[in-house]
Order: sequence, then structure tokens, then C-alpha cells
Amino acid sequence: MRPENYQPVEHPSSEEYELYFGPNHPGIEGNYALKVRLTGDEIVGIKADGGYLHRGFEKIMEDRLWIQNVALVPRICVPDPPPMEETYARAVEMIGGLEVPERAQWIRAMILEMSRICGHLFILGGTAAPIGQYSNMFWGITDRDYFLDLFEALTGARVYHMFITPGGVRRDIPDGFLDRLTHILDYLEARLPEYDDLFFNNPVFQKRAEGIGAITQEQALDWGVTGPNVRACGLALDVRRDDPYLIYDKLEFDIPTETAGDVLARSLVRRSELIESIKILRQIVQRLPQIKGPIRCNLPNPLAWNLPKGDAYARTEAQKGELAFYAVSTGGAKPWRVHVRGPSSMHAVQVLEKLCLGGRIEDIALIMFSLDACPPEVDR
Amino acid sequence: MSQQLPEVLASVFKKIPNLVFKEQTARRLRVELRPDALPALLELLKGRAGYLHLSAISCVDWPENDEFELVYHLWSYEIKTLVSAHIYIPKKPGRYISVYDIYTPAAFFERDIHEMFGVYFEGSPDMEPFILTEWSGPPPMLKSFSSLGYVEETFKWEQYSPDWLKEIEANGGSIVE
Repeated sequence: MRPENYQPVEHPSSEEYELYFGPNHPGIEGNYALKVRLTGDEIVGIKADGGYLHRGFEKIMEDRLWIQNVALVPRICVPDPPPMEETYARAVEMIGGLEVPERAQWIRAMILEMSRICGHLFILGGTAAPIGQYSNMFWGITDRDYFLDLFEALTGARVYHMFITPGGVRRDIPDGFLDRLTHILDYLEARLPEYDDLFFNNPVFQKRAEGIGAITQEQALDWGVTGPNVRACGLALDVRRDDPYLIYDKLEFDIPTETAGDVLARSLVRRSELIESIKILRQIVQRLPQIKGPIRCNLPNPLAWNLPKGDAYARTEAQKGELAFYAVSTGGAKPWRVHVRGPSSMHAVQVLEKLCLGGRIEDIALIMFSLDACPPEVDR
Repeated sequence: MSQQLPEVLASVFKKIPNLVFKEQTARRLRVELRPDALPALLELLKGRAGYLHLSAISCVDWPENDEFELVYHLWSYEIKTLVSAHIYIPKKPGRYISVYDIYTPAAFFERDIHEMFGVYFEGSPDMEPFILTEWSGPPPMLKSFSSLGYVEETFKWEQYSPDWLKEIEANGGSIVE
């Protein structure tokens, strides 16, 4: 909001200037640059510039055994690694014709939903930070840490778990884990009204977020927008529902939507998804003890494991949107080609450019965080 | 196999000459066709079968045949089936047409494939490097490009002997390889 006595300075059109926004981005998203052309504070041109986090994953994967890549894939996306493991594992299972035991499928779904909560808490804090609301950021990161503690108890690692392997999971859940999970879910559920008071119902946030970076339904479909960003436009599209994997067709959950498609709507969708993920996790806590059986199918010696010839395209609803792996096998011990399609390939490049154009400089960071753009996923 | 194929897909596939399809799993269709027929297939899938979502374009290098394989992964929110359309283009000259006018997301994937494999897409809005802006070597995702070879050529190997290791070695220890 500008003060009432604000008088914009009339610059001649040649008074455009170029601003390099990043690559040291003031936030939690990672290194990414935007070359912005401005007139005053209005954006008249914007170009995304990636590559600062390029680590050549796709090339490295071609030189590693199928099983070795399990350790590599979670590193593609820092805030939300388990969907990477899951999608890679499922692509391998599709090529190799492996059947994942039911118990492993439930454990995997549990990990994916825990990761979704982590990612949402992280990015809700991120959305709050560029408008000066740092308390919310600290809250989000602290509450996420409780889930990282759970991951540590389950897998031994906090961020990169390498727990989901082709054919199942590495270990069974430890004793008392489900009780700990329930305890944290109770805690988070009780915390949500506090988040409402501090952030979602905060007039500062609402005024800054309403109408900013709005996407229409047509644009969302045309630009390849997925995940919470497309659901904020009123389209209930979700890979878990449309193209179900694991045990998602046995779970009861809603697909929350909003209609406005702006920063506020995207944040509200993430808030509702926290509730849905808690709902899913409670169902898993209830059902998992009754499901007995192995946690991994029989695999050959992983160091001499030749997958049959073929290709597969596996899709997952990651926390940020549609994540897909295209894997090609020529019958060898190593992948011939693995292509990673991260949801941010769309959100961080074309969509971000289009939404920022015509906006103001102070909204760039807000729009980028509200899209949950993840540069490491773009650069790979 | 064809009994399970939705009617609208069957009618679209019939219109494209020399098209071969295979049902890989539930909700996954693998389609092979001639490169010149691909834009027509995409137009038909988008217009008639609700294939609004271009999930990805993948490129695979096949040095034995001197070919690139381009795979267009399309998802229909209506039929809820993924169609992966495979085409093969010769490596020389390694050019193909852009499908940006049909699917906007194609711009990102075409630009990516151009910089990683060297395939040029005519009509794509931006073929400038995005990730490898400071790279002047060959497209690195080609099978002919060896990462190890590049490292050997570019960097010198050096004996790794930090102080802490010297201390251990002085006491008779070492790093076990």
C-alpha cells in the first residue's frame, strides 16, 4: 500500500534499468538469478537464469549402478527429498517388474506424507519471510525439525534418508515410532490455530498477498502448472488421485482447492494440505500395525543386477507438484538414461517470468516463494 | 489390448499412419511414430482426447544408430492415461520442429535438450543456454562425452596429503582404500 500523498516520479521510457536479482537469493530456496528490467519499481522485463546448482545428476546416474543411484536421487531437491527416492524406485520397479510388499507401500506413503508436511512448513515460513514476518519462518522451521527428528529415528538421517529403495524400504519402523508420530501430529494440529493468528489471518499478509501473482485456470493448464499451485486456481488435480500409486487409493483424503489463484490462495491450499496429510498419516498409524509381511521383495545381488531392457515413466505428487522420472534400461547394470522432471521446471522459469511481468520489485520474492520454486530441481 | 483402449484414443491413433502403440501397464501407453507425424498426433490428442498436460520431453542418445530418441510424455486429466510418444531423429543434422505452439511447457524442455544434447528445435522461442552459460565444450549429455575423460584432461591429479593424514601416517596408519 502506498501512502496517500505518494506521487510517482515520471521517468521517460528510456530510464529503464537492469537489476540482477540473485544468485544469492535472500531466502531459503537456493541459488537462482533473475535478470529484471525495471522502470521505477515496475517490472518491464524479467529473465530467469539458472544453473548455479547444476550438479549433473542425470549424467552421473548413467555411470552408477541402479542401486547406487538410490543415494544420489534425494539430493536433487533439498526441502523434499523422499518423493525423489520414491519416483526413482518406482521407475526401476516398473522396468524390472518388481512387486513392492504391502507393508512397504504403507511405510513409503507415510514417509511421503511426512515429507509433504515438512516441505509445506518450510515454504510457509519462506512465504512469510519476504514480507518481514520472520517469526512465522522460525516457527515453520522449528516445527519441521520435529518431523526431521522422526525421520532420524526411522532412517538414521534427517534430510537425505536413502530409505526407499527399489523393491521396498530399507528397514521396518522402530518400536514406538507410531506413538511418537501421533504425538507430533497432535502437536502440529494444535499449532495450526496459532499459525492462523500469526500468519494466515494477519492483515499485513492478506493485503500483501491478495491479488498478487494470480493465475487463471486456463493459464495454469496452458503453462503446465501442477501441485498446490494449480489447486489454488480451483482445479482439483492431484497425481495421488488421478494416477494413484502405492496405497493412495485405499486412503480417504480430500483435495483442497481455492479459486483466486494468487499468493494468498496458494498459501491457504498448503495450509489445508497440512490438515489432509495429518488425516492421511492418522489412517496409516491406525492401519500399519495390522499389515504384516516383508518390507522388501527379493532382489538379486545389487552389485550384479541387470535390469531388463525397457523404459518407464513414473509420476509422483511431490510437495511442490508433479514429479516424474523417465528411466531407460538397455539390459545393463547401469541406467542408460534417467530424465528428471521436477515440478519447478515450470514454476521457477516460465510461470515465474510471466507472473512477475508488470508487477513490482517487492513482489518478486513473494511470488517465487508462493510458487514454491525450487532451483536445485530445475538445474539438476 | 486394443479392447481396453479408450475409443477416442483409438480413433486418434487410426488417423496417424505407421503408428504403433503398446500398453505398458495400466495408464501407460507407449506410442512409436514417424517424426513428421508427431505434431499432428499432439494436435489431435490435445483437441480431441483432452491431453492438455505436456508432462515432459525426454531425449535419449543412441550412438549405435546415430539417432536421438525424443519422447513426449502427455497426460490427459480426462482419460487419465499417459501417452509417451517416441520418435527417432537422425543425429545429423539433429534438428526438429518445436511444439511450443501446441504446448507452452515445451519451451523449457526444448531449451534443455538443446543445451544438453545439441538438438535444435526450429520455432522454439528461446534456444539460448540456460544452465551451461559458461560452457563451450560439446553438449555434455551425449554418450560420446566422458565425464571422467574431461576431468583427466582438465585437472591434474595430486597426491592428497593433509596434515592430519601425515600425523596418522607417522604413527604407522593410513587410509584404507
